[in-house]
Amino acid sequence: MDFINSIPTHMDFEGQARAEKLSRIIITLFGAVGLIWGYIIQQFSQTVYILGAGFVLAALLTIPPWPMYRRKPLNWQKARPIGEHSPSGSKKGKKK
Amino acid sequence: MHSVLQRGNAIVAYTISVLAFLTFTCFASTFFLDYRTNAHINTVKVVVKNVPDYSASRLKNDLGFLTFDLQTNLTDIFNWNVKQLFLYLTAEYETPDNKLNQVILWDKIILRGENAVLDFKNMNTKYYFWDDGNGLRANPNVTLTLTWNIIPNAGLLPFVTAYGSHSFKFPNEYTVSRM
Repeated sequence: MDFINSIPTHMDFEGQARAEKLSRIIITLFGAVGLIWGYIIQQFSQTVYILGAGFVLAALLTIPPWPMYRRKPLNWQKARPIGEHSPSGSKKGKKK
Repeated sequence: MHSVLQRGNAIVAYTISVLAFLTFTCFASTFFLDYRTNAHINTVKVVVKNVPDYSASRLKNDLGFLTFDLQTNLTDIFNWNVKQLFLYLTAEYETPDNKLNQVILWDKIILRGENAVLDFKNMNTKYYFWDDGNGLRANPNVTLTLTWNIIPNAGLLPFVTAYGSHSFKFPNEYTVSRM
């Protein structure tokens, strides 16, 4: 269970933007090429298959959180040691 | 931040939107095409009988028998938005009872990729040519037309009637003998 939980599933914010942009570009490109090719050979099924290939490629490239989407992690503040008094008062632990 | 499922959902949704656009483009690219073409129809043997139509009543009705020739080339009709054609041969005529009678005598399905060059000689009809009374004997003007219904990937299912029809008359006497 620890192993499963240790698999990273999230991208950082910039990686997320890049992944979405990349997926849109791939699917649009495959759709356009499929449309042209399907029109040339007059087979709409080929258009759909090419779009499907674009979907698979986009899914492989942008759904898993590849390292290229995790290059700029957010720098969180370090956790404060327990017991330290915060200036805002006594509700320690409950308040972020 | 987006999870794996959210990213997958976004990709699926976008792919389906693109597919809808592509399908509409396919429809739009064929919407204005003219699917009419020539067909050559001829009748070979025409006979009319007067026999009881048990499916309607026990009265004797006119039943026409005919064989026909049909030549047409439908290859050019097929494009990326045509999956199949449903062809049918209609007989149209006027009787004292009805201003317009239409009887479908024969039909055929042509799938995409099948031979669409038709050259039939002396074909029998598939369906009975019943009149609902006695309007066939000596009928001077019965017109055969070929029509097809286009079954597309996306869009309308237009009915297209071929250029070229054939008019014939039925004989003045009933045929009594078996054929």
